[in-house]
Amino acid sequence: MKEDLKIAWRNLWRSKRRTLITSSSVFFAVFFAVVMRSYQLGSYDRMIQNFIESYSGYLQIQHKEFQDNPSLDYSFDYSDSLFEKIFSVKNVVSAAPHIESFALASSGNQTKGVIVLAVDTEKEKKFSNPESKLVKYKITQRLINKLKISGQFHESVLKKLNQVSGNSYSSTSRLDLDLDLSEDERNSYMSVILEESKATNRYLSNPDSGVMVSDKLATYLKVNVGDTVILMGQGYHGASAAGLFPVRGIIKMPSPDIDNKLIIMTIPTAQRFFQTEGKITSLAINLTGRSAGVLKRSRENISQLLSDKSTLVKTWEDLNPVLVQQIQGDSQTGMATLAMLYFIIFFGIFGTVLMMMAERKREFGVMISIGMQKKRLKRIIVTEMIMMGLIGLIAGLLASAPFILYFYYNPILLRGELGKMMEDYGWDAVMPTAWFGPYFYWQAVIVFIMILVATLYPIRKISKLKEIEALRS
Amino acid sequence: MKVIDIKEVHKVYDEEEIAVKAVDGVTLSFDEAEFVAIVGPSGSGKTTLLNLIGGLDMPTEGEIVIAGTNLSTLKPSGLIDFRLNNIGFVFQAYNLVPVLTAKENVEFIMSLQKWSKHDRELRSDELLKAVGLLERKNSRPGKLSGGQQQRVAVARALASRPKFVLADEPTANLDSKSAATLLEIMEKLNHGEKITFIFSTHDPRVVKMAHRVITLEDGKVVSDDVRE
Repeated sequence: MKEDLKIAWRNLWRSKRRTLITSSSVFFAVFFAVVMRSYQLGSYDRMIQNFIESYSGYLQIQHKEFQDNPSLDYSFDYSDSLFEKIFSVKNVVSAAPHIESFALASSGNQTKGVIVLAVDTEKEKKFSNPESKLVKYKITQRLINKLKISGQFHESVLKKLNQVSGNSYSSTSRLDLDLDLSEDERNSYMSVILEESKATNRYLSNPDSGVMVSDKLATYLKVNVGDTVILMGQGYHGASAAGLFPVRGIIKMPSPDIDNKLIIMTIPTAQRFFQTEGKITSLAINLTGRSAGVLKRSRENISQLLSDKSTLVKTWEDLNPVLVQQIQGDSQTGMATLAMLYFIIFFGIFGTVLMMMAERKREFGVMISIGMQKKRLKRIIVTEMIMMGLIGLIAGLLASAPFILYFYYNPILLRGELGKMMEDYGWDAVMPTAWFGPYFYWQAVIVFIMILVATLYPIRKISKLKEIEALRS
Repeated sequence: MKVIDIKEVHKVYDEEEIAVKAVDGVTLSFDEAEFVAIVGPSGSGKTTLLNLIGGLDMPTEGEIVIAGTNLSTLKPSGLIDFRLNNIGFVFQAYNLVPVLTAKENVEFIMSLQKWSKHDRELRSDELLKAVGLLERKNSRPGKLSGGQQQRVAVARALASRPKFVLADEPTANLDSKSAATLLEIMEKLNHGEKITFIFSTHDPRVVKMAHRVITLEDGKVVSDDVRE
């Protein structure tokens, strides 16, 4: 075996250029496949995370009819004892009661269908923490004009401010990133921009008759903190629900789709508004993870706690079929791209194999003539091919690992039109990579299988090789 | 003692549906330690006969018995093992393994026979010394001249202590000085190792040194002269 490895290794470097070209093709295949897949899965993770942890939860207790018919008639009685029991289940991190319904929101001449989400302000802090999503800074045209008139601001900074005009930010870092100021500009103007663009917002208190409005909806309705929105909808058992609600805060939801249509109020306010005293529509639960095993076990355990037989536990996948389908569709497109990449690379490897067999036919004939068994020769050639592949494969994995690591912690934040386009699709304009998981190893396994498939050709050729013909070649 | 026994061997090739008789009813036998040259014009069947004796090709008719074994009774893998243990090959184009050094090329055959490392080293040194290349034992074929490569090929052919060595035009690609050196070495090894050498050749120097000269024409043996 040692002898075979030596021969295979030396054969590998007989044609250095060819080996490097082939190994490079494997390297790029692995690198691009891993990075591409990592970005894809990272984006899905982000989307799911945004949606789940800030809205639906990993699991939800609902009335069994609520998902198909999201009417308040399918709400259920809620008590604090159920809430406490949930925490006895392993993997439960947080939980929050919700009342979720629809209403028409109106302000001035603007009207829009919205989701009304009622929360327990304290419990929700530990669940989706809407307080952290309060808009801290708002770049308006009025602000830009004010800064322009002051004459203190350089034209280039005003131009950058114009590019983010209308945007709201719940963090300084995102505003800083979007503005893309130079070091000097940041030092000179950032503190003024932050001061001038500061938004006055507050989280809902308990009790509170006011509401928080999502940023894009607030822009559409042209409302700000202190303004009032009119909500009209249908309450419990067909009762009409209408009311005036002062706006306490504007929140920036990470999922652009939700950001377009969300109004948050407290549960007591919603119970009065919808006349659903003592009832909620869902109890959302966050878990330590969303692996199939954790979801299944947690769902089963929580189901056993439910005394109300009209309720059941749904997973985030049951609750978001559109998101799941969207991800599946996009994932299949990604897989098709990868398949094409693999296909091209396979023929690169196969080309090398063909050349090698043509060039070394005589040599193989000599080796068999002087007494080497064909199976040993095949073993040497397969070893040679595997070594060639492994060089590219390991290099590809090693090169992609720091890349994945870096962009996992420092995701690409998409700016400009591309970012807007993604948000219009309802996706977060952030591209993180996914943490190392099966996808990382599977790309390597697939490429390795490709190499093994390519070795079938020399194996077959050697099996059929006739010494006399090989010696004449 | 008889090493090779060839009985009424025919080899017919079908080339574009025309049957070509490359070897036509050859009956020969070779004894231990013979130094034989097979001569004849191009196309007379020299190389085909050597290939048949070496088990690289199978006769259309007749049988070839080597050390009591009829080659046609062996399975392909059995035939490869048989060649490994009984036959040494020297090719016109040297055909050394390019990625192995001279020493490793010689040891390669012995490693296929599963000799111990120590025995391999002893034997390869002995043979490389015999062919005058001990000081070049760590050179790869690419760093050796044609004559030197052919000498390594001879050492490789003898490494497994075969019953006989088949050499197909071994001097064809060599200059006269290298050819003379090679022939001297082979004759010395023929005496020393008591191994039969069978050459196919056009080279008059080989013919001159041979103890027996077999002439082929149109696949038939036309003369078989044994010299004293």
